[in-house]
Amino acid sequence: MSENPGTNLYLPFMATIQEVVRETQNIKTFRVTLNDPEQMRNFRFAPGQVGQLSVFGVGESTFVINSPPTRMEYLQFSVMRVGELTTRLHKLRKGDQIGVRAPLGNSFPFEDMKGKNVVFVGGGIGMAPLRTLLLYMLDNRTDYGDITLLYGARSPSDMAFSYELPDWLARKDMSTVLTVDNGTPDWAHKVGLIPNVLKEMNPSPENSVAVTCGPPIMIKFTIQALHALGFQDEQIITTLEKRMKCGVGICGRCNIGSKYVCQDGPVFTYAQLRELPNEL
Amino acid sequence: MGSQLEDLKTAIRQALPDLDVVIAWAAGPDGLAHTPLFITSESDVDLVQWDPRCSQNLAGYLPGLRGKKVGIVAKGCDARSITELLQEKLIDREQLTVFGLHCQGALDPEKIAAMADCGRYVRSAEINGGELKIVSSKGACAISLENGLLAKCFRCTGADAQPCDQFIGEHGAPPVLKDAPATTLDRLEAMSMEERFQFWEEQMGQCIRCYACRSACPLCVCQDHCAAQSREPHWVDQTDHPREKLMFQAMHALHTAGRCTECGECERACPVGLPIMTMKQALNRQIKALFDYEAGLDSEKTPPLFQFRENEEHIKERKW
Amino acid sequence: MGAARCIKKDALLTWLEEVGKSRLVLAPRAQGKSTAFLPFDPAKGISLSGLATSSPKQALIPRHEALLEFRYTKTDQVPAQTGLAVRELIPNQPTLVFGARPCDARGFTVLDRVYDAGAKRDVYYCARRDKTIVATVACTEPADTCFCNRVGGGPGDSAGSDILVTELDQLYVLEAVTQRGEAFLLEQKLPDATELADKAQAARAAVRAAMPEGDSLLGAPDKVGALFDEMPFWDGVAAKCLSCGACSYLCPTCYCFNITDESKGGQGVRVRTWDNCMSFQFTLEGSGHNPRATKSQRMRNRVGHKFCYYPTLHDGALSCVGCGRCIAHCPVSMDIRRIVSKALTYEKAAKEHSNV
Repeated sequence: MSENPGTNLYLPFMATIQEVVRETQNIKTFRVTLNDPEQMRNFRFAPGQVGQLSVFGVGESTFVINSPPTRMEYLQFSVMRVGELTTRLHKLRKGDQIGVRAPLGNSFPFEDMKGKNVVFVGGGIGMAPLRTLLLYMLDNRTDYGDITLLYGARSPSDMAFSYELPDWLARKDMSTVLTVDNGTPDWAHKVGLIPNVLKEMNPSPENSVAVTCGPPIMIKFTIQALHALGFQDEQIITTLEKRMKCGVGICGRCNIGSKYVCQDGPVFTYAQLRELPNEL
Repeated sequence: MGSQLEDLKTAIRQALPDLDVVIAWAAGPDGLAHTPLFITSESDVDLVQWDPRCSQNLAGYLPGLRGKKVGIVAKGCDARSITELLQEKLIDREQLTVFGLHCQGALDPEKIAAMADCGRYVRSAEINGGELKIVSSKGACAISLENGLLAKCFRCTGADAQPCDQFIGEHGAPPVLKDAPATTLDRLEAMSMEERFQFWEEQMGQCIRCYACRSACPLCVCQDHCAAQSREPHWVDQTDHPREKLMFQAMHALHTAGRCTECGECERACPVGLPIMTMKQALNRQIKALFDYEAGLDSEKTPPLFQFRENEEHIKERKW
Repeated sequence: MGAARCIKKDALLTWLEEVGKSRLVLAPRAQGKSTAFLPFDPAKGISLSGLATSSPKQALIPRHEALLEFRYTKTDQVPAQTGLAVRELIPNQPTLVFGARPCDARGFTVLDRVYDAGAKRDVYYCARRDKTIVATVACTEPADTCFCNRVGGGPGDSAGSDILVTELDQLYVLEAVTQRGEAFLLEQKLPDATELADKAQAARAAVRAAMPEGDSLLGAPDKVGALFDEMPFWDGVAAKCLSCGACSYLCPTCYCFNITDESKGGQGVRVRTWDNCMSFQFTLEGSGHNPRATKSQRMRNRVGHKFCYYPTLHDGALSCVGCGRCIAHCPVSMDIRRIVSKALTYEKAAKEHSNV
């Protein structure tokens, strides 16, 4: 048998951490390249797909590839420190070896979204999956209509990707609103909960798609706000998180009824979610 | 026994309006073993069964039902688990109604199935006098109840449920049984250390790690947060080595030292029939020798490992 | 196909010993109080009476298997970097499973649909499956916990087997079911038994006819699916469940697994082990959230998977083969037949409770 990650569903690509960016007090971003240049050259994925990162000796965990497929100098993953694996990942440095099983799962319907206005609503680490799609759209700007981003976090120091925010705010081809639950004296942006700020922004549902990700409670109220603004279930897209092991729809823990989040998701429209049994 | 069953049903029926649930036994799938019954409405009461096929100790359900008003039917040995749960304040006496019974021994369905040489398809099984009469695919056979009892029944120290709120039927002494089988513990104590190690290696090699022993243990309180599956701490790894499985059994035994009433649920639940109560019995012998204590006999007593006394009569470390 | 060979019952062990020279033979053997599929040992014999306690699924999905091994090394680079070598451990062991029962073999077809799904092939499973001959012994005496005939199977069915073995008096008749079985059978120095095929067929039919009929459970998917939100039903059926893994681990079709790394020093293995959806930890997330936190929800998933979700994905095939091990060995005598039957007749909203 060949030692080929394509053939063996469980064999990761070996990869090297090229850069570690400290985003917030508990989020770090890892920029990773596959060790085999040919594997790196041939690596293809679509915005929204996820990967399993391995720290050998500890295990694997699932993260979205949050760099866009249009920028392939590295694959980027942002990791919030919560458990055993993420704690170990946070200790890794440039040059350290990890495993990457990717791409897994489905992607955002970026083809179907062509020509449409897109409203991104991200909360906390939930900005990571939106980032890949946002950058993909900015890199294919003419394919999409108006792009609006609402990104919120608990406090200014909890905002990931802070080094990119000035550029997003300055860009003429998108409009960006930042908000925090708790402001600081030097915070120049909104203070308020994401769903409330979203209602104030009052984006039109006309020819639009909303893409949202964040903590479950934020998603719940964001969807209510979108409904209030006139967005239909089919116009709301989100991406789910579940405990996963195999990542290929076999091991049986991320299922919701007959759907496997690792394989049929993680991206679902709200219309699809409503069809699923209630077991989130 | 018929009237005792009717008395039990009557008692349950009368108490039910004031209770959220009553736990009893009903007929099981194959006639050889009864199954727990959760009674929430009067029509359920008709399903209640009471005979030597009521082998399971129902006390294990009690901690999970804390906060509810629960009735429970108990044999003598089951009541010891209830006492221990009360001692450890894992259940509340005032929320609990115990329907106590006198027990003349509970059957081991595996033993019966092995003895019944009348085919695998049991069409009916009835207890009559001292016999279990089975009609099966190849005909009929009868098994003397005494030969089919659980090993623990040969060591019965109290056949009447105590504590109880309502005693159903007559009080009585433990069953008088001949030919008690040698316990695994006795056999092990006659072995050398190497032989014992080999014994456990063989036994643990058969363990499928289903943790039925843990789930069935009325005193196993960690349950959903068991160290057997935890990564932090990582005391047991997931490889299939007998060492890892024995490690779990050792942990379980140590956690139940001086608490285990030897109800035998761990062994009864084990789908591959491993003698895993042995370790707990060994520790109980130590507890008896050191503290002159037996678990589950007095709800007012504090289990010895739940307290610290500066001077223990049988622990003489100062004379080392 | 169609090769048939026979072997005298008293020559079976000798033959298995012969086969054992070129492949691993897994056959049911009593050890202690249970029976499991273990490497054949002529001195210890085999046990073909009734159904083994454990199913033979461990021949294809071992309780524990190392998927990868890894080793960290120090490199000579300055500053020192840690190197890492990872190696996959693909099984390569020709095997004969002898003494599976038709329900067990049907269980392999349930696993095949998941582990050998077109482009998505689990190389570990497939490597074993490709090198394993499954010789199934048709049942002569179904037990009262058996219900293969209610879930699409039967005591003499050949689905999932490479060779079907039928007892005829002092003989076993071995008939090839697959190409693989045919090739294997033709290599064996056993007398031809083509003329016994009809007799074997008749013997199997007689056992099937004598097996008590029960209501078919094939219509379960819609009903079980429709009960998803009916929590009183699931609370009722799950009340006595201990939430242990005995049912899942003895089941020939439960295939969920865990993957964990186990290491000492700088080296270790990534292991796949059986896991169990009745366990609280199975779906527990790092955040503390658990989508199936109660045993009722977990029971719903277990029954739902076998009788609704799996059939939805696989043309209506149930992922229960009716072996009855979960009934026979459940510490509290749960009976999945009663649960599904109850689901089939359950009327929503009626103030009904579901003691089974």
